[in-house]
Amino acid sequence: MEGNKMLTIKDLHAKVGDKEILKGINLNVKEGEIHAIMGPNGSGKSTLSSVLAGRDTFEVTEGEVIMDGKNLLELTPEERSWAGVFLGFQYPIEIPGVSNVNFMKSAVNEHRKQKGLEPLTSAQFLKLMREKMAIVGMDSSFSSRGVNVGFSGGEKKRNEIFQMAMLEPRLAILDETDSGLDVDALRIVATGVNNLKRPDNAFIVITHYQRLLDYIVPDVVHILYKGRIIKTAGKELALEVEQRGYDWLING
Amino acid sequence: MGELNYIYAPESPLTEQFRCRVPMKGTRQLFVVNGGVQGTRTPLSISLEKGQVMEEVLQVISVRTEGSPLEIAYKNNLHFGEGSQARIVLCSHTFTLDKFVTDEEVDITLDDRAVVDVVVMQNEHNEATHNTRFNITAGAGSVLKISFLTLHGGNIDNKVRVDINGEGANVDLSGLYLVDGKQMVSNSVEMNHNVPNCISSQLYKGVLDNDAVAKFSGIIYVKQDAQKIEAYQANHNLLLSERAKIHTEPQLEIYADDVKCSHGATIGRLDENELFYLRSRGVPMKEAKILQQMAFAYSVLEKISNAELRERMENLVEKRLRGEFSNCKDCSKNCC
Ligand SMILES: Nc1ncnc2c1ncn2[C@@H]1O[C@H](COP(=O)(O)OP(=O)(O)OP(=O)(O)O)[C@@H](O)[C@H]1O
Ligand SMILES: [Mg+2]
Repeated sequence: MEGNKMLTIKDLHAKVGDKEILKGINLNVKEGEIHAIMGPNGSGKSTLSSVLAGRDTFEVTEGEVIMDGKNLLELTPEERSWAGVFLGFQYPIEIPGVSNVNFMKSAVNEHRKQKGLEPLTSAQFLKLMREKMAIVGMDSSFSSRGVNVGFSGGEKKRNEIFQMAMLEPRLAILDETDSGLDVDALRIVATGVNNLKRPDNAFIVITHYQRLLDYIVPDVVHILYKGRIIKTAGKELALEVEQRGYDWLING
Repeated sequence: MGELNYIYAPESPLTEQFRCRVPMKGTRQLFVVNGGVQGTRTPLSISLEKGQVMEEVLQVISVRTEGSPLEIAYKNNLHFGEGSQARIVLCSHTFTLDKFVTDEEVDITLDDRAVVDVVVMQNEHNEATHNTRFNITAGAGSVLKISFLTLHGGNIDNKVRVDINGEGANVDLSGLYLVDGKQMVSNSVEMNHNVPNCISSQLYKGVLDNDAVAKFSGIIYVKQDAQKIEAYQANHNLLLSERAKIHTEPQLEIYADDVKCSHGATIGRLDENELFYLRSRGVPMKEAKILQQMAFAYSVLEKISNAELRERMENLVEKRLRGEFSNCKDCSKNCC
């Protein structure tokens, strides 16, 4: 069954300073799909995800990004979040002094406000938070800690998935959420993602490893190289990359 | 607090116009009107006897009112006898937009092993000038903690001189100043380590917006025979506008050789990466900036030991950062 159109990226170019990093990206994501993006270090995978989330260090010079009929590039980062975009960061930053609970309360209630819903009461919020933390196997003691402060690499990644679970995005872009995770954490995170998958949302999973894709099975795999998608195929492409590397694609 | 010869006067007309939601549970209020304690008209003078423990928090609310001389000067005295214990909140407000100038001196003396906790909260109008000199002496084994919360005011100047005169004393000073518009705030600290084996620390933080100007100058002075002391000083500033100015001058003067001292100052802006992270989760820019500023202020606010007071102060600081003080000329009457 074909899902509805969700995200359309057309000929997207972006630069930082004078350096062009994205050199014409085309990508279509439909409801219910999981896309994987792979590619050598420095190809522009994180840049693409940052541009989609609205980071202004990158300047879009050409092309368009349409999500649910809206021009995403005209929206602020928070408006994109309200529109359902979620970026799981490759390197989640630490924010000392802002507790996880205050951060998420502010985020969740702002999302509700945008939908015309009343804010959650403290009790409702804490219940929701506990439920979602359980999904990713996070201890409740993390809620009062500063955002990512002193979290181990793996804990930071779990926190990203926890935030995703709280916000239930329409389109989640997970930038190397698997890196730094031990095998058990990887399974927990992947199970979390699979639990959150619905017919009306979609995932773009950026990874270097086939391992993650054993758990989160993609419908499509793209190879990004030097700012362009040089190959798109089914899930078997990830396996092939794992075995043969990128040379045959780059030089082929 | 019968022992202190002061009474709380709830029938006072002040309480009609003044909506201080403190007293909190376990707090007793005392009004000082234009420099004189209400009912006595003399400056505040408190003396705790040896071993006396004040169970209640004493909140001293100093107000400047309409019709009083614009310039006044007075001296307060807080004396804490050997082994005594007290918690004190000193609030200052101006009730009208007059150009008040208040010159205040506060002597704080801790005899040996006294334990004293002070929160100074300053919330005055933009036309007000308030200079305070705190002369502090700390005896052996005494513990003093003071937090200065300068929330609002035209020109506020806090000078603190501490003489640590007895071994084993511990003095903790902290300050949070929030300045915007054309406001000016100045904090200076002179920390004199006169004897060995003591600890002092200073943490001052400021958030500056618009054309505000703030100054911090602090000196840690360690006498030659004040060995094995620890003294720390830090001043951190967050500039929200291009025009706001901060002058900061941390200094050390050390004549002893076996000491642990550090000092430092930073001037920064809101972190763009943090801001993006918060916004990417749907927190609007304005809210995200408030979260960041509250996070910045947190390390000073968390020094307030009384949890209820701390929560009140956090709320006030947040309101202040949201700009809720500037719309209302009666702001300082509805402060807590
Ligand atoms: N702010 C920046 N300033 C300058 N160059 C940048 C900046 N951000 C990214 N780049 C460059 O853009 C290129 C693409 O980087 P990007 O992080 O998107 O790669 P990636 O595909 O995510 O790599 P990895 O697999 O290592 O995560 C790299 O050459 C990087 O150095
Ligand atoms: Mg990357």
